[in-house]
Amino acid sequence: MRKLERRLLPALLAAFLAAVAFLWAAPFLWTLVASFRPEGAGSAGMASLVPDTPQTLENFRNALESGSFGLYYVNTLIVVAGVLAVQCVTVSLAGYAFARLSFPGRDVLFYAFLLQLMLVPPALIVPNLRTVVDLGLYDTLPGVMAPYFASAFGTFLMRQTFLALPRDFEEAAAIDGAPWWAIIWYVLLPMAKPGLVAFAIVSVTAHWNEFLWPLMVINDPAKHTLTIGLAAFTRGAEGGKEWGVLAAGTLLVMAPLAVVFVAFQRRFVDSFVFSGVKG
Amino acid sequence: MSIIANLRIATLAASVLAFALPAAAQTKIDFFFPVPVEGKLAREMTRLVKSYNDSQKEVEVTAVYTGGYDDTKLKAQAAAKAGKPPAVVLMSANFNVDLKLSGDIISLEPMLKAEETTRDDFLKDFWPALHANAMVDGELYSVPFHNSTPLLYYNVQHFKEAGLDPTKPPRTWAELADAARKLTKRDGDKVERYGFTMPAGYDYLGWLMEALTLSNGGRYFNEEYGGEVYYDTASMLGAARFLEDLIFKHKVMAQGVTEAGGVSTAFFAGKASMMLLSTGSLSFIRENMKMPYEVAFVPRNVRNAVPIGGASLVMFNGQSEDSKKAGWKFIKWLSSTDTLGGWSRFTGYFAPRKSAYETAAMKEFIAKNPDAKVALDQLPFAKPWFVTYQTVAVRKALEDEIQAMMNGKKKADVALKDAQKKADELMRPYVEQTALKLPQ
Repeated sequence: MRKLERRLLPALLAAFLAAVAFLWAAPFLWTLVASFRPEGAGSAGMASLVPDTPQTLENFRNALESGSFGLYYVNTLIVVAGVLAVQCVTVSLAGYAFARLSFPGRDVLFYAFLLQLMLVPPALIVPNLRTVVDLGLYDTLPGVMAPYFASAFGTFLMRQTFLALPRDFEEAAAIDGAPWWAIIWYVLLPMAKPGLVAFAIVSVTAHWNEFLWPLMVINDPAKHTLTIGLAAFTRGAEGGKEWGVLAAGTLLVMAPLAVVFVAFQRRFVDSFVFSGVKG
Repeated sequence: MSIIANLRIATLAASVLAFALPAAAQTKIDFFFPVPVEGKLAREMTRLVKSYNDSQKEVEVTAVYTGGYDDTKLKAQAAAKAGKPPAVVLMSANFNVDLKLSGDIISLEPMLKAEETTRDDFLKDFWPALHANAMVDGELYSVPFHNSTPLLYYNVQHFKEAGLDPTKPPRTWAELADAARKLTKRDGDKVERYGFTMPAGYDYLGWLMEALTLSNGGRYFNEEYGGEVYYDTASMLGAARFLEDLIFKHKVMAQGVTEAGGVSTAFFAGKASMMLLSTGSLSFIRENMKMPYEVAFVPRNVRNAVPIGGASLVMFNGQSEDSKKAGWKFIKWLSSTDTLGGWSRFTGYFAPRKSAYETAAMKEFIAKNPDAKVALDQLPFAKPWFVTYQTVAVRKALEDEIQAMMNGKKKADVALKDAQKKADELMRPYVEQTALKLPQ
């Protein structure tokens, strides 16, 4: 009896988890199946998860033809990488300042910083756009990146990460005569890597998927990002939806992120566990 | 040749040059456009603008795709506030009053004056139903570009199966309810096929409620004054109750809110036999519907009447004189008979100019696609699209309540009373500054 229980329980648990996993995966599965579904069958069985035969690449061709996706990929990459590169510098330095330096008004300033997280982004569109125009960055990719160079969330995350590190290492380095920048670069940052990686994932996904702000800043079709290209399929108001093309377009947009995530899955999970952030 | 003749040629050449030079300086302008139907239209629009740029040297237009109608308004207004107003924007035709009140768009009367033409002359070729939406406070503010009305689409095969005559589509609400009952297929408690469906997402629902209240003899809003809507009225109550009955009494329409994409997909899949949808979707339906279908007028209870929908070209405030001139030139090209006709055939929207239907290309197209003719025949019954102070919020006040009703959470009469109250509150600032501003 007990033996049976010992075998049955894990099996039940596995079945339950598999069912939950299937529920979570269903939208992705559907996207995958629908993107290869021939158009004719697309309308009748469009909600089905069973692949149709024959499979077709037509949807991808249509999606790719509706915009210069190659260019959109490059633009999105530039934005995402540019934002992240600057953010890494700003959030590390700001996090260090809030964690290690003592100066008057530090805590008030820190909470004021955190208040930013409460602001709804659409409320900032006009003021941000004005600043971008004043800086001469309207209709440029740096204009898309600029408002994100400082990140309240990243600063918070790095401050917590630094606070969790023992001071002994820094003190040892300081005794050896290392200046503050060398302490950050050679001592703190290598130990804070998991925090940075966790932040990078959040930052990259957020800016990869962002729609409204790039739409506001960019006019030139050659500077559009992936989400704007995708919107051509999804923002239809009066007509119907071409589900196959929609699915193919969605897949094209999310594929690179998905591939990167699968490739580095273990490291990502490790850093989230380390930094205590849930995705 | 004498010296004098040579001199003459030289001066002539010089004057031609003098004329040509300023014209050669190209004016660059931005044109914002949403894509209301599908991605293919964005490509076609880009192609059109490119052909315009290639056809002349004075204006270079950058066509900027700007998402949906609401995104486009948001982007255009944000850009204007940040000092980068777009020259020309294709804008949902019922945003005009709001945009004029906020000072975002400019009157087009000076352009007409500069060309020594009158507003009446300019509008003469446009369908009369479009005139009201083109004007704000008696002045021309927008030029209609593509327009639509709701239309009843029905599945011919289902009609035959249900013993209905597909050549005699329902013309009244009674006939519609009756046909929908016959078309609905049940398997026990489960409904396999609904007789009737229509989109009930934001924007679409308000427009279709206008169609229903108009067909019931109502008006939806005060066409002459932006501070009044008629939600809590007998004609609107009849319209709302008709919808409520279709769902809960006759059970021929699915409970809850279906978006336009879901509605057309259900129609393609044979899960719904009749639907109300825009004429703007005609090409899309034609290309994707595998079963035979037909279209008909929106059925009436009191009279045949449908609202206009669609988009118009507007110009934003704060641009230079050169940019205005270039923008107006581009607008005139975009709204020319040939461009409008071609766009109409590509999209399924009807062309706002009557002359577009007198071209050979259009006559041939209509002969080939009789469904486009039905849409055209319904035009004489078209009325202006609702437009008020705070159009979107006032519209949502009704939509939220009707959606609650469609979900079975509210009764029609209560829903409309609440909608009216909310709408009146929203419009109060405007009303107090206008109709209720009395001599002290």
